[in-house]
Amino acid sequence: MPRKSYKRIPVCTGIIIALVLVNFTINAQDAQIRFDRYHGYTGTSEYLKKVNTAYPGITELLTIGESTMGKPIYVLVISNMSKGTTIDRHIDLRNMRKENIQNVPPMKIHQGKPGHFISGSTHGNEYTGTEVCLYIIDKLVSGYGGDEDITSLVDSKAFYICPVINPDGVYNSVEKGIAQRNNSMEKDDDDDGKINEDGPDDIDGDGYITSFRYKDDDGMYIIDESDPRLMIRLGRDTKTDKQRYSVIREDIDNDKDGKRGEDPESGLDLNRNYPEGWWKDDGFAGGSGDYPLSAPETHAIAEFFTNYRNILMAQFYHTSGGFTYRPMGTAPHPRLNPTDVAVFDFIMGKKYLEIIGEEIPEAWLHPENMEQYKKELAETDADSYSKSRGYRLPRGWRVSYNEEDDERYGYGMATDWLYAQYGIYSITTELWNPEDDIPGFEIPDDENRRVAVDKALLKYQDEEYNGDLFVNWKAYTHPELGEGETGGWKSQYARNNAFPGEPLINVCEKHWQFELFRAKLLPEIIIRDIKPRIIYSGSTNEGTVKRNDSEFSVEKGKGKGIYHIVEISATIENTGALATNLADGEELPGNRQDVVWLVAERDNIEFIEGQPFISLGSLGGTKKIPGVRNSPSHKEVKWIIAIKENTPLKIVASSLKGGTVYKEIKFK
Amino acid sequence: MKTKNIYTRITVIIIFSLLTAQLIYPQKKLQKSPGGEHGEMDFSINWKKYYTYEEWTGIMKELQNKYPGLCDIESIGQSRMGRGQLLLTITNKATGKHTDKTAMWVDGAIHGNEVNGITCSLYLAWYLLTRYDYDPYVNELVDRYTFYILPGLNVDANNSFVEYPNTPNNPRETYRPEDNDGDGLYDEDLTEDVDGDGELSEMYREDPEGELRLSADGRRFVDAEEGFEGLRFTRIGSEGFDNDGDGRINEDDIGGPDPNRNFPYGWNLDAGNPYPMSESETRNVFEFQLDHPNIFASFHYHNTGRLIMFQAPPPIRLSASQEEELSEQTEARLEEMRKTNIYAQLFARRVSDDYQHDMDVQTKIVTEGAYILKNYRPVIGGLSGQAHAATYYMLGAYSYLIELWGSPVTIADTDNDGRLSDEEYMKWIDLDLAGDGWINPHRVIHPDLGEIWIGGSAKKHMQRTPPSRYIEMEAEKNARFVMYCASQFPRVKIDDIKVKAITANIYQVDVRVENESEYPTASDRSVQLKRYTPDVLSFEASDNITLVETSGKDLDDGRGRRFSYFTRQEPQTETQLSAGEKTEFRLKGKEKRVIRYFLAMEGKKGNATFTLSSKTGGSDEESIVIRVE
Repeated sequence: MPRKSYKRIPVCTGIIIALVLVNFTINAQDAQIRFDRYHGYTGTSEYLKKVNTAYPGITELLTIGESTMGKPIYVLVISNMSKGTTIDRHIDLRNMRKENIQNVPPMKIHQGKPGHFISGSTHGNEYTGTEVCLYIIDKLVSGYGGDEDITSLVDSKAFYICPVINPDGVYNSVEKGIAQRNNSMEKDDDDDGKINEDGPDDIDGDGYITSFRYKDDDGMYIIDESDPRLMIRLGRDTKTDKQRYSVIREDIDNDKDGKRGEDPESGLDLNRNYPEGWWKDDGFAGGSGDYPLSAPETHAIAEFFTNYRNILMAQFYHTSGGFTYRPMGTAPHPRLNPTDVAVFDFIMGKKYLEIIGEEIPEAWLHPENMEQYKKELAETDADSYSKSRGYRLPRGWRVSYNEEDDERYGYGMATDWLYAQYGIYSITTELWNPEDDIPGFEIPDDENRRVAVDKALLKYQDEEYNGDLFVNWKAYTHPELGEGETGGWKSQYARNNAFPGEPLINVCEKHWQFELFRAKLLPEIIIRDIKPRIIYSGSTNEGTVKRNDSEFSVEKGKGKGIYHIVEISATIENTGALATNLADGEELPGNRQDVVWLVAERDNIEFIEGQPFISLGSLGGTKKIPGVRNSPSHKEVKWIIAIKENTPLKIVASSLKGGTVYKEIKFK
Repeated sequence: MKTKNIYTRITVIIIFSLLTAQLIYPQKKLQKSPGGEHGEMDFSINWKKYYTYEEWTGIMKELQNKYPGLCDIESIGQSRMGRGQLLLTITNKATGKHTDKTAMWVDGAIHGNEVNGITCSLYLAWYLLTRYDYDPYVNELVDRYTFYILPGLNVDANNSFVEYPNTPNNPRETYRPEDNDGDGLYDEDLTEDVDGDGELSEMYREDPEGELRLSADGRRFVDAEEGFEGLRFTRIGSEGFDNDGDGRINEDDIGGPDPNRNFPYGWNLDAGNPYPMSESETRNVFEFQLDHPNIFASFHYHNTGRLIMFQAPPPIRLSASQEEELSEQTEARLEEMRKTNIYAQLFARRVSDDYQHDMDVQTKIVTEGAYILKNYRPVIGGLSGQAHAATYYMLGAYSYLIELWGSPVTIADTDNDGRLSDEEYMKWIDLDLAGDGWINPHRVIHPDLGEIWIGGSAKKHMQRTPPSRYIEMEAEKNARFVMYCASQFPRVKIDDIKVKAITANIYQVDVRVENESEYPTASDRSVQLKRYTPDVLSFEASDNITLVETSGKDLDDGRGRRFSYFTRQEPQTETQLSAGEKTEFRLKGKEKRVIRYFLAMEGKKGNATFTLSSKTGGSDEESIVIRVE
């Protein structure tokens, strides 16, 4: 159906207005959403299409790739599609090569605005982030036009929301109930000539793939005394007089090769498949896959970020724990530029801790005293990275790098990659901490905290969900393992994901608030104080100068009409909170400096002083970054030109991540 | 059927039976004399021309059509602009599936402008197919092995280079848009043929202050001496328009990352951006290679400079003084070696024991390469995201990057100073090429610049790609080097079986297995990658024979097993106890190995069969009969 921009409604007349409004209202109702159940991959895809239909003026639905099993990976763009501009709309190209190579697509309007990327479900079973993405979409599209902050953000920024990075993992985890962290792969894991022939099974046929427990003297579990639904995992050397059990996923040996679940659909860990820190030092693979970005899903994400270089913020939701990883995991602290660290910790980290209600480190509240904190920390047994910073990272805002033992965490993670290679404030939030996210959640006393939380969750789902999230144990005779019982948490919920309803809404609201805060930090370029001054005006001719020693003779050519000699100055300013690039961002291949062009019909303009475009470096932000000297947020530019009378002239300022704007110049 | 009788001390008769897996297909038109045609006339191709995409893929399709029993054609994927990357799979289908045979990968022109790589790989395909019926050497290679040949890798740029006016250096990259000048626009200021003469040359403007003048013959721009009174010039740059009106010309040319810095091994962001395997052209290739673990070695054609760049194992880190010592040793040893073989090669790289065999094999192979290609120089290749680094380091395949062609220094260096002056170069054009190859300076009206001069440079196919008459000469010897490498793919056999009676019913049976070729059955790197299948010798016998199982250890540990060009130690036969019915090992190049069994036999007569099987080197089977007389 044709796109209708509802920003254009005021210019339409009579009946058309009424029709469009009716249409719009119906669609908007259609795109309402509730969070009392999970939407899964299918529900999410339907919702994205509905939102796109209901809000054509402020959304675009991109398909950025396909999963292994052929499911589209969607990104919903939310931005006012009738506001803004891009640099290629202003520069006319001429005398192009006869070959007529069409390798450069026209820029989309939102590529001229600072971008904010938010994603969920890189790991299929860590699903909560998908719902948070939908919540954020709902807030943005339904708040547009009503809420001033949201309207302004949607007008001037571009949100790129990818609720499901791993469609197959989500489909299997949420819709089929087979918890699947990884993507799917058509791979013969056990080299028997058959592909994906032995995965988990709903052996008792109750519609859920839960667990099977059976008596086993070598088992690692015992049944909890106070709540016999609960299995308690023993420590490696723990002794017990109680009956030991083994607990496995519901599964049989489908291909009768003596092994259970040895060739499931589950494939690669997508968050170990990114290029940064993928290799081990010894030249062998450390990350997942045959090579970095080998998975179709990560490849789609990489190609997306390559094409949408305007993105400066990124969030990859995982579960669980209720804290955020900022970069980096594969490299120690010195890999980050101190300016970026200050933005991450003192600005974003501080806000995040406020939102989740965790105590903010004293050093962050008084960064001006950092030397003192460093001295104090030097006297302690803190690790060297904490000492060099002046503070230990708090529980709620941390790095995955193990600073205490000076060991990297994993290989090839998205957040590290986007920070180090694309110059993006990328973070990974581990959503869902029942203690914080369920109001009045009480954890009983128990020496085993994990068991205590499990007990409390069981009680909570008994009371609030009528016990629907847990399948009670019932006798089952396993064809290979004999007598036992099937039952346990439905795999969608367990400890992994915020329970639908109030807990989920709490998680969503907090993280919407945090991303809203981050979006408001984005840079914003403006052009101000344009001062054109005509130095000279007059009728003119073409001329060529010939020199004979100290004598210059001018040969007059044909008449060119009235020309002005004009001196033009203007100020390009970033009025956003943060700079237009990370500290080293403009140096990264694919990024660039902010530039300003002076544009007129080419045959009517001569540049006497100054070039048609001038590079500005990166413009600093307006927000004071503690402990860092902000770079200037504005720069003055100046040209002297000769221009034919009545020739339209404009200034176009273009920052890759700070937006593109233009102003026409009027002078008499 | 070969039969041998061997009499031991107590008279044991051993009957050998020959069982080769190889089917021998008779050649239809075996050519007995090296004079005369070998099939070229069955499918004649004009090798005095560079072909456009439509033309070279047309030739591939016709070849496949003509030789359907030896050849398949497929597209391994599409380029950015939607061209198919066409690949020929060459092997005799009657002797087995291509995936079951040890394979050679050959690609040409990953860099758009290096199109003599297309010719060389296309020539190899044509050579193998047309000569199959005539030439026993080619016949055997095509029966036994698979050749995957991708003549054009970077198809968009390859076609552009041939079909449109271009400098010898462009277009090199794939067509991902890139903002080279940081002005916010992508690929917006390309080169153009301003004067419409079909060549991309250099632009100059008249300038009384200029540093250049025309040469005496009016063909080149040369430095103007002080006080020179005539026309002076300043160079503007290569031919083109100012498309975006920023005052500069050709500053944002077509293309993005260098595709040969885009592979995963040794990849870095600066050279290989935006990310590893970002280009569909490179990704399609690497995905194909990953899907075909039978690829044993690879060739990648580039230009220029006449180099055999091969991948060597990772070096051991040495101190500066150790480096110096190694380099001196190497030179001294090489000088000695070159007294008997002027093509001898030796490289100052020390590697760990785990990799010594790869180092030795590569040294041996490129020594022969230097002989076959004559004025080509072997050097160790770099990593930095290059295709041949990925094939060796990630797939474990032996890899070679050939830098084709180079300046005609060997034929035109009249003063023998080892380099080609402008005068020598012009003379070569005038006498050898009958004057065809130079763009004379001429006046042109340029829409952005007014009156300028264009010219004073060689034409497109004069520097990095050879003029047409040299194409086939270069392609032919390069085809021979690839075929030599394929001829050295591992071939295993059971060489000999010896039986010794220890007591009247306990026998020691020594089975000697051999790899006749230079290449091992798996490279050291593939062993380190755990991306290989061990060779297996298995044992079966009549019911009255039992195998006395042992620990399966090597019996001659540390007795100079390493073959090294430094020490000139010849490989010695290793002896290994059999651990059981299946014994696993890896046969190195030219290696013989004895597997020792202890057998207990009851009664007067028994028989045993030994089967040698190597995933890359083929298989062999021998049976013995022991009869107590």
